[in-house]
Amino acid sequence: MKRLLPLLVLLVALLLTACPSPSTEESATSREESTQTEQQSGAESSSEVKVIRLGAAVSETGKYAREGKDTRQGYETWRKWVNEEYGGIKVGNERYKVEIIYYDDEGDPDTAARLVEKLITEDKVDFLLGPYSSSLTKSTSAIAEKYNKIMIEGNGASESLFERGFKNLFAVLTPAGNYTQSGLKLLADQGAKTMVLAYEDTAFPTSVAEGAQRWAQEYGIEVLAVETYPKDVADVSGIMSKFKDLNPDIFVGGGHFNDALLFVRSAKEINFTPKAMLITVGPSNPEFVAEVGADAEYILGPTQWERTMSWKGPWFGTAEEYAQRYEKLWGEPPTYQAAESTATALALHVAIENAGSLETDAVRQALLDLDIMTFYGPINFDETGKNIAKPMGTIQIQDGKIVVVAPEEAAVAEIRYPMPPWNER
Amino acid sequence: MDKLLQALLNGLLLGGFYGVMVLGFSIIWGVMGVINLAHGEFLMMGAYMAWALFRAFGLDPFASLVIVMPVMFIVGYLLQRLILNRVIERPHLMALLVTFGISISIANIYKVVYTASPRNVPVSYNGSVELFGLTFPIVKTLVFFVALSMMFILHLFLQRTRLGKSIRAAAQNKNAARIVGIEIDRVYAITAGICIALTGAAGAMLSPTQAIFPFMGAPFTLKAFTITALGGLGRIPGALLGGIILGMTEVLVATFVPGIGTNLGVAVSFVLLVVMLIVRPQGLLSGLRPMEEVE
Repeated sequence: MKRLLPLLVLLVALLLTACPSPSTEESATSREESTQTEQQSGAESSSEVKVIRLGAAVSETGKYAREGKDTRQGYETWRKWVNEEYGGIKVGNERYKVEIIYYDDEGDPDTAARLVEKLITEDKVDFLLGPYSSSLTKSTSAIAEKYNKIMIEGNGASESLFERGFKNLFAVLTPAGNYTQSGLKLLADQGAKTMVLAYEDTAFPTSVAEGAQRWAQEYGIEVLAVETYPKDVADVSGIMSKFKDLNPDIFVGGGHFNDALLFVRSAKEINFTPKAMLITVGPSNPEFVAEVGADAEYILGPTQWERTMSWKGPWFGTAEEYAQRYEKLWGEPPTYQAAESTATALALHVAIENAGSLETDAVRQALLDLDIMTFYGPINFDETGKNIAKPMGTIQIQDGKIVVVAPEEAAVAEIRYPMPPWNER
Repeated sequence: MDKLLQALLNGLLLGGFYGVMVLGFSIIWGVMGVINLAHGEFLMMGAYMAWALFRAFGLDPFASLVIVMPVMFIVGYLLQRLILNRVIERPHLMALLVTFGISISIANIYKVVYTASPRNVPVSYNGSVELFGLTFPIVKTLVFFVALSMMFILHLFLQRTRLGKSIRAAAQNKNAARIVGIEIDRVYAITAGICIALTGAAGAMLSPTQAIFPFMGAPFTLKAFTITALGGLGRIPGALLGGIILGMTEVLVATFVPGIGTNLGVAVSFVLLVVMLIVRPQGLLSGLRPMEEVE
């Protein structure tokens, strides 16, 4: 045993630090491309081509690898467009090409913070784009604030991010507290009276869950039970069997993509059939239907954006036109995480043009003054940096398709309610 | 009362899965003294293989065991022949580093090949049946019985066959085994093959109940470690007992502690590990060989 003890210590240490890969820099290709386009446009205009350098720590590995990929592709959709079609960001009379430096934050808040510090101090980026997830945004935005760099993000919806008095953090997406608002309103209108709630105990799901309890109260829905679970949960059957005994009208599950799979599997396994299941992240992602199959039917989920929504702006056209462009580039339909990442970069782009400067103070003022309509919806920041103009949509999976059922102005179908028991389908 | 019985049943079913999941880890450690940090990754490989077979040919994950197990046996055999046998006589740290490196490589290769999107095998029968007032989740019940039969077959193999006996001999005293003419390298390679095949099978059976993604392995390696410490090294009944204790603890805490139960269940299992290491470091059932002698 004595000989094994150091081994045990080592083992635990290794597993705790079992970060899948060292951070990788992917900017090599983007640098190459931007030099190419620089040369092309250099022939057209006599003025020297300048570069705006942006930096982002985004998960390539770890828990948020899937959403991180969407985020990256969203940023890249904008970068390719701005460099190749738009001709660069206009600052005064000059055109600036864009370069984005990416690092893999491995889904770890400390790593992300360290990488953002590196982006600011070593890579000398002009502006920062956000990582995926609220917890990573939380740690990285603190670094941005310390160095007085603007960080604009579209993937950290937790409200606690904007309660810290930061001047340099802006988010284009609807804040987490409002995620379930349109869905719960719709369900209350359908006659739902009771609700249970399970959420992962990290920043974003906690915000969603607190918001859900607030909205439930507002719409007269009684909350019967609240359960939390840890980040890498492998089994939620304990939670689900407790909920089954309570026989609620609505199940609300707040977490990330993996949890959504677990909730549906587990509910069917123990034959727990609430009248509606509203799951925070997952249902709006087309891969959810592909992986869960027929059991995904009737599941509800909030969505920041869907390609069927009627938003339209002067930059990428309509939501559908943006979706087609994205599909052509990446060979897969855009998730809302991808769309909001593109919108994030676009908001920064417009603010820089409005400010006519790359100075932090001028751009910050331009962001605060911003009031635009885009393919992603309206963008208008309040003084804390939240986008207060955009409502949240709710989707339902009907016949294998993702359709918007709320709010009324964006809905394309009626909600199917209540959901039939698992064994009667 | 019903709630308690249901929780015990769920814990038992989870425990059966844990038992077969941990077996490969436990035997490799017990026989060769190698702590396989890539254990969870081999589980993940099995799960992906089942998923791919399901997607390509509509093959049921339980039927795909017929393909998954032989393939994983070859993976394990080659792993031992080509890599592990070279470090096995060296200090423990070498084997740890090698398997740690393998785990990182496999996870990242899978990320490149399959992308990080979570996968799932949507089998049609993943509902439940009511029996004696209890709810039996069909897939988990199936997993439990397949796991039990695998353990039983492995037990017979180790006790009755010549090869099984030579594996036990190699575990008990490597030098003596060598002296009586057992080809240690080959026995080790076969042992690794069997263990990795079992781990892959556990992964394949897991595929209908869980999200499959390249980085799903690490928590399983940690769990395997806990269960092995609980149940004793390299023993089949130990693995089963350890698995059932862990499964029941997790489910009972998750079911009866309101609000934070699921959180607490995970914490409790590691508290169990620490207590176990202090009180009874050889595990509940004494191992294939005493832990003190593990080289």
